[in-house]
Amino acid sequence: MSGGTSPVVELLRASRTYLGGSAEEVRALRDIDLRLAPGEFVSVEGPSGCGKTTLLNLIGLLDSPTSGDVRWDGRPVGTLSDRERARLRLTGVGFIFQRFYLLPTLTARENVELPMRALGVDRAERTRRASALLAEVGLSGRERAFPHQLSGGEEQRVAVARALSNRPGVLLADEPTGELDSGNTRAILDLIERVRATRNATLLVVTHNPEVAARARRHLTMRDGGIVSDVVGA
Amino acid sequence: MRRFGRGGSLRHTRLQLVLAVAAIGAAVALPVVLISVGGGVAAHELANLENAGYQIVVSASGLHGISGAHALSDRILALPSVTAASPVLSIAIDAVSPHGKLSPVLAEGVVPTEFTPTLGPTENGLFPQPLPLGDPTDTVHYANGTYRGPATYDVLLSTPYADAYGITVGDRILLSPSTNTSLGTEYNVTGVFGVPPTVLGPTGAFAVLLPLSDLQVMTGFAGGPSATVTDAADTVQVAVTGSVADNPAALGAVRAEVQGIVPYYSVTSLNQEAQQLQSASGVLTGFYLALSSVGLTVGLLFLALVLLRRVESNRRSIGIRRALGIPGRTIAVGIAAEGLGLAVAGALAGLVGGFVLVESLARWASAAVQEAAALAVFDPIILAELVAGVAGLSLLASALATRSALRLDITEALR
Repeated sequence: MSGGTSPVVELLRASRTYLGGSAEEVRALRDIDLRLAPGEFVSVEGPSGCGKTTLLNLIGLLDSPTSGDVRWDGRPVGTLSDRERARLRLTGVGFIFQRFYLLPTLTARENVELPMRALGVDRAERTRRASALLAEVGLSGRERAFPHQLSGGEEQRVAVARALSNRPGVLLADEPTGELDSGNTRAILDLIERVRATRNATLLVVTHNPEVAARARRHLTMRDGGIVSDVVGA
Repeated sequence: MRRFGRGGSLRHTRLQLVLAVAAIGAAVALPVVLISVGGGVAAHELANLENAGYQIVVSASGLHGISGAHALSDRILALPSVTAASPVLSIAIDAVSPHGKLSPVLAEGVVPTEFTPTLGPTENGLFPQPLPLGDPTDTVHYANGTYRGPATYDVLLSTPYADAYGITVGDRILLSPSTNTSLGTEYNVTGVFGVPPTVLGPTGAFAVLLPLSDLQVMTGFAGGPSATVTDAADTVQVAVTGSVADNPAALGAVRAEVQGIVPYYSVTSLNQEAQQLQSASGVLTGFYLALSSVGLTVGLLFLALVLLRRVESNRRSIGIRRALGIPGRTIAVGIAAEGLGLAVAGALAGLVGGFVLVESLARWASAAVQEAAALAVFDPIILAELVAGVAGLSLLASALATRSALRLDITEALR
């Protein structure tokens, strides 16, 4: 765990329980305690169904714990309204999904502009920043391409640019290279790591890929809804 | 429609949108037709009332119920401000042309010198001036109620009737109260007159005009042992001076004076009738809207279902937006805007459809419908209100879809 600095995100005995198909409870997360410091690069590993994505959803405010607490900058998010949570997601979190989740009817630039637009950034500034971000991820000249006109690697680059568009303090990536070949995996990892370092953003990556995990400085391993190891390594 | 993703088949999505627009269009076309045609006919009748040459009508219920029509007209005419009092008796009789063809006609018995001033501007041009009927004051034959004076047996024919039977001025025709022509009398055709266009009333295209006392004697409404009413008429049409006609209070005062003379008959002023017609027209418009609301409800329900279906098929896109932190309000506005766009497109299609339908009716429908459709008035204010109403209701229709989108579980939508 990170030392002295105040955590950006903190989970205090957070649990998440679902009702299963036969109305029996499924405990996806059990009493998780976790603190993420600014600028940390953390990997989360574990077998399928161990609760990695649920953990990511709680941190990213897509879901709420059934017990325990999630705090952002020391503030318990359980007290926030839906609107405040959406605002925090918009300004504080950048999501990178395994399946990219670009909006198919928007161009690459429009996809990147989307969070800025919701934040009320004016059109000229949006366009300038989106073009700069796309250039940063190596997609200059592809601004007007629709997702179906892009390769998988290019789609994920657009998704990374979109995640960075509102300059979030926390980047959450769920198997970001899961659908990419090894060449694209490396390129995307280089990109994510570079932008994290230049922006001093906290990066939490859920992955099965040892190559991805190897790049992180802190390694969480999960099993059966709990964190079984939390190792800080070089 | 770039609000949501390309869920499902694009063609299927387009079909849904087209059907939603068509449903609302059909729902809007109905009130457009009803209100424009109904309003047009009412406006036409109102204009007829306002353009009539008389302003007060005395009438009685029952068959040819005014008795002592000549004397009554004289008493009314003696009132200050009254310029003409025209008794009118209308009866269907039979006419035999010079070529022996029998046809029913609408006969109007009038006092020529009183009848002419009660003609409105439109009718005025249809009748020869002065009316070429002998005994213009209808006093010679009437002879103070004895009906023993000499009758001139002059008659005017409507142009449609004269043309249909090839009758010209100078011919003689037989007029009879029934098909038993042995009861008939020969009349001299001294002129013809045009028939004003009418929509709501009988057309009276085959008509004849003759002195009141002639028609009363012919039909048994002059008097005598067999008469049910003596010196009968259906109405007495009263014309007043221009200053009184333009002043509702003064007209009301004259109407009250006439009513004082005949407290047992109905005495109405045309501005009262105009008000009644306007009220009736307003009630009809409300009825049309109520009738149309059924179609509009169905159209808007269809729109609500299409929007709901679109939310369902775009769950992932909505989930992505919400995951990115796009405010629920923005998503709701997107859905409402889509509903609004479809509703306005449908409403405009309905306006065009309604207009085309009315034009088609005016050209190709049966005669009476054609006439009514030709009078249609497309009031831009009412039509704008209709579109605005549909647009407003579309927001209601989008509420269900909006609720569904905002209650979407983001994590499930992204699975």
